[in-house]
Amino acid sequence: MDPVLTTCPFCPCGCGFYLHVQDGRTEGVIPSEGDPVSRGRLCARGWGSHEAPAWGERLTEPLMRHEGRMRPVSWETALEAAADSLVATRRAGRTIGVLGSARATNEENYLAVRLARGALQTPHVVSCLTATYQPLLDGLHDVTGRHAGSGTVADLEHCEVIILVEGDVAVTHPQVAGAIVRARKAGCRLVTIGAVASQMTSLAALSIASTPGRERAVTFALVAAALAGGRLDTATIVAAGASFDALRRSLAEAEVSEAVARAAGWYAQAQRAAIVVAPLVADAAELRRLAGDLATLAAATGHLDRDGSPLLILPARGNLRGACEVGASPNFLPGFAPLSDDGAGSRLEGVWGVPPVRETGLDAAQMLTVARGVVIVAEDPTAVMPAGALAREALRRMECVVLLDAFATPALELATVVLPIASFAENDGTVTGLDGRVRQVRAAVRPPGKARPGWAVLAAMLGRLGPATEYHGAEEVRREIARAMPPDIGARWREVDEARVVPRAERNGGRRPSLGPLAPCEPIKPAPSVAVWDGVLDWGSDPLVRYSPTLCRDSAAQRKLFPGGFVELSKEAMDRLGVRQGWPVRLKSAGGEAVAPAVMRADLAAGVVVVPFAFRDALAPVMGGHGVTSVAVERA
Amino acid sequence: MQVSSARTIGKERTGEWIGRLIENAEVVAPTAAQAGDVIFRKISSPVEVQWGSDNPLFPPKQVVLPQTDPLVTISRGADGLVVEPVYDERPRVLFGVHSCDVKGIDFLTRMHAYDLADTAYLRRAAALTSVSVACITPCPLGFCICCDAGPFLAESFDVQLTDLGDRFLAEVGSEKGGRLVEPSADLFRTAEAGEVARRHELEEAAKRAFGPETCHFASAMRRVSVGRVSAELWDEIAGTCLECGACNFVCPTCYCFSVKDQGRDGHWVRCRTWDSCQFRAFTREASGHNPREAHRERVKRRFFHKVSAQYFRRDGAVGCVGCGRCVKVCLGTTDMPAVVAAIRKGAWHG
Repeated sequence: MDPVLTTCPFCPCGCGFYLHVQDGRTEGVIPSEGDPVSRGRLCARGWGSHEAPAWGERLTEPLMRHEGRMRPVSWETALEAAADSLVATRRAGRTIGVLGSARATNEENYLAVRLARGALQTPHVVSCLTATYQPLLDGLHDVTGRHAGSGTVADLEHCEVIILVEGDVAVTHPQVAGAIVRARKAGCRLVTIGAVASQMTSLAALSIASTPGRERAVTFALVAAALAGGRLDTATIVAAGASFDALRRSLAEAEVSEAVARAAGWYAQAQRAAIVVAPLVADAAELRRLAGDLATLAAATGHLDRDGSPLLILPARGNLRGACEVGASPNFLPGFAPLSDDGAGSRLEGVWGVPPVRETGLDAAQMLTVARGVVIVAEDPTAVMPAGALAREALRRMECVVLLDAFATPALELATVVLPIASFAENDGTVTGLDGRVRQVRAAVRPPGKARPGWAVLAAMLGRLGPATEYHGAEEVRREIARAMPPDIGARWREVDEARVVPRAERNGGRRPSLGPLAPCEPIKPAPSVAVWDGVLDWGSDPLVRYSPTLCRDSAAQRKLFPGGFVELSKEAMDRLGVRQGWPVRLKSAGGEAVAPAVMRADLAAGVVVVPFAFRDALAPVMGGHGVTSVAVERA
Repeated sequence: MQVSSARTIGKERTGEWIGRLIENAEVVAPTAAQAGDVIFRKISSPVEVQWGSDNPLFPPKQVVLPQTDPLVTISRGADGLVVEPVYDERPRVLFGVHSCDVKGIDFLTRMHAYDLADTAYLRRAAALTSVSVACITPCPLGFCICCDAGPFLAESFDVQLTDLGDRFLAEVGSEKGGRLVEPSADLFRTAEAGEVARRHELEEAAKRAFGPETCHFASAMRRVSVGRVSAELWDEIAGTCLECGACNFVCPTCYCFSVKDQGRDGHWVRCRTWDSCQFRAFTREASGHNPREAHRERVKRRFFHKVSAQYFRRDGAVGCVGCGRCVKVCLGTTDMPAVVAAIRKGAWHG
C-alpha cells in the first residue's frame, strides 16, 4: 500500500510524515522533506509512532461492566447504556461532565464540547491538561487581545536571541530544541530561565536560575530591565499613553540582576528575537502573569507580531492547543468566544439546534471530584492529572464512566462503558500544532476489530442525546467547527492548508497591544529546599509510548529499578546529607512526609528536589496535589 | 564476475524494459508522494518512476532490511510451540537507485554475511538486483566521492545506467544484472566507443561538481582509532545531539536492530525492528547496568564504528557512503561531515 501522509500524535510540534503500511499493519515511518514543519527531521517518538498502533494492547470491541466484570457487548447496547446512564445521572440531579484530550483530534474534542454544552446541557467540558496551558493563553490575551502566540518553530532558526523559559524542551518538544540548536550554531544567543538543568541550559549563552514555580520573578524583572534599558517600540508606547507610565510604576520594585539586564538588552536590541515558554509547573495565576509579562516584553520592544520574532507557548501534549481552541476549556465557547458572548451563543444554537450552556465549567480536577458521571475521550486521567491517585478514587466513586480509547490504559479498570475507537493511525481528522497550523491526520489502516473512529462514536452519542446529527466523515465535522467558531478563527478550519501559519489578520485583528501595569511579584519565601515535579509529565504512561517496544524502554526500566519512585537531588545536597545513589531520603512538607531513594542529577541547584511526574503519587503525602512545595530533606 | 560490455537503450524504450521487469519481479523505484517527496516503493507501471530526482531522503535499505522485519513465526502445535523461519525470497529489482545506495546495500550484505551469516537478510538480498543511475550531477549535500561510493560505480553494481541525453548507457556488473538485460536484448544495442567515452567524460565532470560537504575520513580515522579525541569533545558534540536516532534510520550502512515478538491472532511473529545506538536503552542490560549510559559514550560509539581503522579493516570501507542524508535529517547538528570535521580539528562548532 502507498505510504500515508499524516501528522505525528505525540507533541504539539505537529510534524508530518508518512506511515508505511504492510499487510494492513503500520510497519514504519518515512520522513517527509516537503513537510513544512518537520522538513524531514523527526524525533525518536516520531520515528517510533508506527509501533503502538500495531504492537499495543488495543480495545477492539465495546465493553460494559456487569457485576463488576467487563463483558463484550454490541455497539447498540454500549451506546444505549452510555446515553441512558448519563441521562439518568443528570436527571438524578448529579453533575456530569466530559473530558476532551490532547490525544484526540480537533473533531473529537469539538464533538465532546458539543456533547457537553449542547446535548448533555452541562458546562463541564475540559481536558485534563487545559489547566497547564489555558492560563498562559489568558496571560497573552490580557496584553495582546488574543489567546495565541505568534510565529513558527522554523522562525527560531533565524533568531539572534532566544529567551527560553525552560522545562526540558529536548524531551518534550524535540523539534523546538532542534531549531534552537541550529539557531545557536548560526550564532544565536540562547537565554534560559529555569530551576532545573537541562540540555538546553548547557547550550545557553546565559542561564538564569529561577526558583521552581516562581519563574515569574525572572520574567517580571526582564520587563523592568527592558524598560529601563531603552530601545523600546515608540508606536506601542505612544499608543499606550498613561498606561505605559502605570506599567513603569508597577515595575518599580523589580529586582533586576546583571544577567537579567543583559538578557533584556540582547532581546530588545535584536532584529529577530524569540520567546519560548516550555510547559511549567506553577499555579494558574502565576502562569497567567508570566505570560502577561512576556507579552508585555515583546510588545514594548516591538517584537510582538514582528515577522521573524516568534512568541511560542508550548502546549504540554499533542493536540492541547486544538482541544482548548475548540472549547474544551471552562471559560470559553469554541474559538475562545467568551461565555457571555450572545453572538457566539446564537451562532452555536444555529449549528447545534440547541442553545449552548453558557455557564462557567469546572476544571478537570474539580470536575472529577464533583461529577458522578463522565465521558472520557482518549485519556487516562490517572496518568495525566496532577493527583493521579485522587483521580482514580474520583472515577471509582462515579456512577457512570464512559471511556472512549484506542488502547487499554489503567482507566479501563474504572470505566462502566468502554467504546473502542481508532488510534491516530486509523483516524481521519485534524490536530492543531503549537503554531496554530491545522494539520491533517489521515487513516493509514483500518481500526482493529469493531473499533470505530472517535468522531463517529461521539456523533452517534450526540444522535442519541440530542437533535439528529449525521456526519459523512471527519471533514464534515471540521467544516462545522469552522461555522461554530468566530469567523476570524474559523477561517483556519474551513480549508486546511498545512503550509499556512496563523494569518496576521487573526494574529492581531487590527488591535494594538494594551500595555498596562503588571501584577506585583510576590517575594520568594526562603525555604530549605523546594520539591518540584519534573514538568515533562510522564511520557511513559502515554499509551503511544507505553505500547511502543522501542519507546517504552527508558520509562519501563525506571519503573523496574524504582518501583516505589525516586527523587532527584543535586550532588551538593547528597554530599551534605551524606547519602549515595539510591539511598533513601525523607522529605517533609507542611502536608506530610515521605521516604524515597535519592538519585543524583548533575547541575541541579542545591535547594531543588525533582520529583518525577511518574512517581508523584508515591510522594503525594509531601506534594499534596501541588507541583511545587517547600520541603526539608534529611537522610532516612 | 563476468562483466559484459556496455550497451545503450533509447529512453523511449526504457518503459518497455521496466514493464518486462515488472512482469517477473517486484520493482521498487523512486516515486512521487503527497507532500512533494520522492519515496522508494513498489511500482505497477513504468510511468511511476521519478527519473532524475534528487536522492530520496529515505534510503532504499528497507528493501533488504525492513523497519519491521518478520524473522520467525511462533505458534502452538500439538507438541508445544512451533517455530518456523520466515524467508522473503521474492525476486526484486531496485530501479533508479543512486550509486551511494548500491554501495550501502553492498556494505549491509557484507556485514550480514560476516561471521555468523544472517540467513533471513541474505536470502532477501540474494533475490535483489539493482539498476542504478550514475550521478552526473552530485547531490547538493552529497560527499560520496570521499567514501568511494560514487558518483559513478566501478564495482558492486548489477546494472549501472548513465544518462547520455536521449539514451542510457547500460553497464552490466554482475550475473544478476545480466539476467535483467539479456532477456531484453532486443531493446538494447552494443555501445559505441564514443558513448563509452562520453560516460567517462561525464564521470570526470561529476567529480569536479561536488558541493561544500566534504569528509576527510583519513585524519579522523587516525584520531578516533588511537583514542585521540577527548571526552570533553565528545561531551560537547553530544550536547547538540537530540537522540532522535534519525542518523541511524536513514543511514544506508546502519543496521542497529532490536528483536520483539508481535502477537497476531493466536500466534506470534518475532520481528527484527530498526533501532538506534544513540538511544540510551539500546545497550542497557537486563541487570539495569548500561555500559553507555553517558550520552557522549553513545555518540563516540557511533563514530568509532563508522570511521575507526579497526572497523575499516573488518568492513573494507568506512561506514558511510556520503549520501548526505544525515545532514538533512539530524534534529540537532551532529551529522557525519560535522562530526568528522570536529574529530579532525579537535574542536566542535555545533
